[in-house]
Amino acid sequence: MMKDLIAKLKKHYKLTEPDYRRADLTFVTAQKDELRSLLIALRDIEGFTHLVLLTAVDWLEEGLFQLTYMLNNRAANRTLALRVMIPRANAVGDTIHDLWPTAETYQRELREMFGIDFPGSPRVNDEFILEGWTDMPPYRRDFDSLAYSLQTYRERPGRVTHDPREHMKKALYPDQKPEAAK
Amino acid sequence: MSLRDVLSPYTAWKHLFEAPVTIKDPIGREAAERYRGFHQNDLSKCIGCGSCEDICQNAAIDMVPVSDPKTGDSGLRPMIDYGRCCWCALCVDVCMTGSLTMSNEYTWVDSDPDAFRFTPGVDLKSWDAEEKGYKRENNERRLTGTHRPEMGMLEPEARIASFGEIVHGYTRAEAVIEADRCVECGLCVATCPAHMDIPDYIRKVREGDYEGGLKLLYETNPFSQTCGRVCTHACETACAAVHEGDAIAIRWLKRDITDNVPRERYFDLISKPDVPETGKKVAIVGAGPGGLTTAFDLARAGNEVVVFEALPKPGGMMRYGIPEYRLPYDVLDHEISVIEKMGVDIRCNQRIGTDITLDQLKKDHDAVVLSLGLNQGRSTRVPGSEEAESAIDLLRRITAGDKVPVPKQVAIIGGGNVAMDIARSMARLQRQKHGEVGVTVTALEDFDHFLADDEEVEEAREEGCVIYDARGPQEIVVKSGKVAGLRTWKCKAIFDAEGRFAPKYDASDEMVHPAQMVVEAIGQSADISLLGAELTEKLEWNRGRIRIDQNGRTSEPWLWAAGDLVSGPDVIHAVADGHRVAKSVSAMLQATRETH
Ligand code: SF4
Ligand code: SF4
Ligand code: SF4
Repeated sequence: MMKDLIAKLKKHYKLTEPDYRRADLTFVTAQKDELRSLLIALRDIEGFTHLVLLTAVDWLEEGLFQLTYMLNNRAANRTLALRVMIPRANAVGDTIHDLWPTAETYQRELREMFGIDFPGSPRVNDEFILEGWTDMPPYRRDFDSLAYSLQTYRERPGRVTHDPREHMKKALYPDQKPEAAK
Repeated sequence: MSLRDVLSPYTAWKHLFEAPVTIKDPIGREAAERYRGFHQNDLSKCIGCGSCEDICQNAAIDMVPVSDPKTGDSGLRPMIDYGRCCWCALCVDVCMTGSLTMSNEYTWVDSDPDAFRFTPGVDLKSWDAEEKGYKRENNERRLTGTHRPEMGMLEPEARIASFGEIVHGYTRAEAVIEADRCVECGLCVATCPAHMDIPDYIRKVREGDYEGGLKLLYETNPFSQTCGRVCTHACETACAAVHEGDAIAIRWLKRDITDNVPRERYFDLISKPDVPETGKKVAIVGAGPGGLTTAFDLARAGNEVVVFEALPKPGGMMRYGIPEYRLPYDVLDHEISVIEKMGVDIRCNQRIGTDITLDQLKKDHDAVVLSLGLNQGRSTRVPGSEEAESAIDLLRRITAGDKVPVPKQVAIIGGGNVAMDIARSMARLQRQKHGEVGVTVTALEDFDHFLADDEEVEEAREEGCVIYDARGPQEIVVKSGKVAGLRTWKCKAIFDAEGRFAPKYDASDEMVHPAQMVVEAIGQSADISLLGAELTEKLEWNRGRIRIDQNGRTSEPWLWAAGDLVSGPDVIHAVADGHRVAKSVSAMLQATRETH
């Protein structure tokens, strides 16, 4: 059934080779400018009435974000995940809150965690779960969690750590490094 | 306002007598089965690698000393600061031993904030034995690869046809995969006799910085090409990765670096440091790995170094003991040429006692280092053993290109790596001369206690050698002046109750292995006759070995002893020794310079 659907969609839209992950789950990548029309066709003609989720993947090395729109056809018990790639720099996606009201929440989350803007989406710039966040959006892969936690949270006094290699050297062979050559 | 609006708040009253959804006091409420709560650490499994500390994005973990460091265990254990922990469980996922887990206990009240900093497993807690909580699923969820790429090798048929090198070395892709598995914990460094910078040079492989890697190798080991091929790799037994699969192929990664730097670049990268000449002269007797390492260090420190070697070419056991198919001569030649470039003067065909005397060396130099190999084979002394060949002697003659007898059937006594070396060398010569292999190896040890490396045994078998375990030599059968075979009995035990060498045999289980040549490969000793009667008398001895301090210095202040003579036939131990001796000699030379 998914194969037929994809074949049918391919007549009108540019899609990549689909990935039939499971009998009831397919992933396929679409063109950014065809996304809206595809979503409407899937919702109104093909019975994919439910937006399961909208999320993103950071392809840092490629300079791209991937947006994944997962739709479900309840009657047929089928899930189709549409992927579109958008440039990572000045990342902007097309809002779909008018197609599915729940998208508003997902888009707010993506705005906060990945820094992807969805102009026109209600309250998109309101804080979502991070309060008073001033750093880079934390789900971006170049966000350095360790550095952030070190500068944000105070260290309890009196903490000492040991490097395994140095610790073993001190205990087992304190002055056996060849120094004559240095 | 409608009536409904007025009444609606009261509709909530119908819930008045139902159980509330929220919990007044959450303490005591059990969390879900796989909840991530306070950590547990099985101290006997944890090796103190510190990977948990490294991966923690909240810097919540400190490694603290708990027990004495030993091979493959730093003795450190993770202490967790729950003021920082976010319960992500990355530390559990990365833990290769599977020692670190999380209980599903999450509620705990204490007014002392420092109570929330403790060492799981050391500071006992009520949840230490809790089964529920978070673990790596069936220990299958792994963040690092578990297996090393298989090394490309010549097929047995191709191997046996020549003395060509067997092991190909990793491809770039294989090397990266293997280097990627290393967690850089450094547990292996203590076990390497020369304490090479293992995690650092593995990182260089990963980064593709081979020239940087080579420089790093030379900081601790001027025989890295050799060790990258034939090292006994004790480090790999201590590697953290063995706890979830194969040890990191440390030896092959070292080789990968040396193979990927063009030979002529070595001379630019390993240049002589710009230090003033000391005006001191050092003589080194023996151009094996120990002696040449000492020479390398001392020359780089500005001393004039001359190495005296009895054989026609330098390298000692690396050339005359290890067969060419494991360590090609051109590799060794190149390695030694780098050492010569430091200004080391190697003089071959200079036998002490014949061509030059130790007295003369003492007179002409400020210090003398004896770095002698174990180049005399031991004998079984069974009847007929005067007709036997010595493995070490035979290997030397094969390297030197001498014509050695190659009968159709050869029997070898011994089960160590030297026995395998001579077995496989004779097999190649037989194959060249007779078209087939006829080698029988008889070892005193049974296969459970075998001395040779597994891979040596396996490769020898693949090449057609037949190996018998637990066989003790009784007689070398000689018929009309010619060797006809080797008679062995089953060996029941090698050591007596006190652990002394005293093999017991089952005489009813006798075999005669037909052979026209019997080779003894049961150990080697150093030829100390070159010391001369007077010096032998003067030196202090310890059970047949020259007594030395921990830096190789003998009871004579001008004389050091190192190499296989002191610590057994293994290149990396010899290198480590060589460094130690060089340091000690340097210190003495320095002291004399300051007092004069
Ligand atoms: S990662 Fe595991 S084995 Fe290593 S120190 Fe941490 S708890 Fe111990
Ligand atoms: S659970 Fe996460 S935050 Fe807590 S110690 Fe482990 S790695 Fe660090
Ligand atoms: S080679 Fe093994 S023991 Fe050595 S640093 Fe890498 S993982 Fe740790």
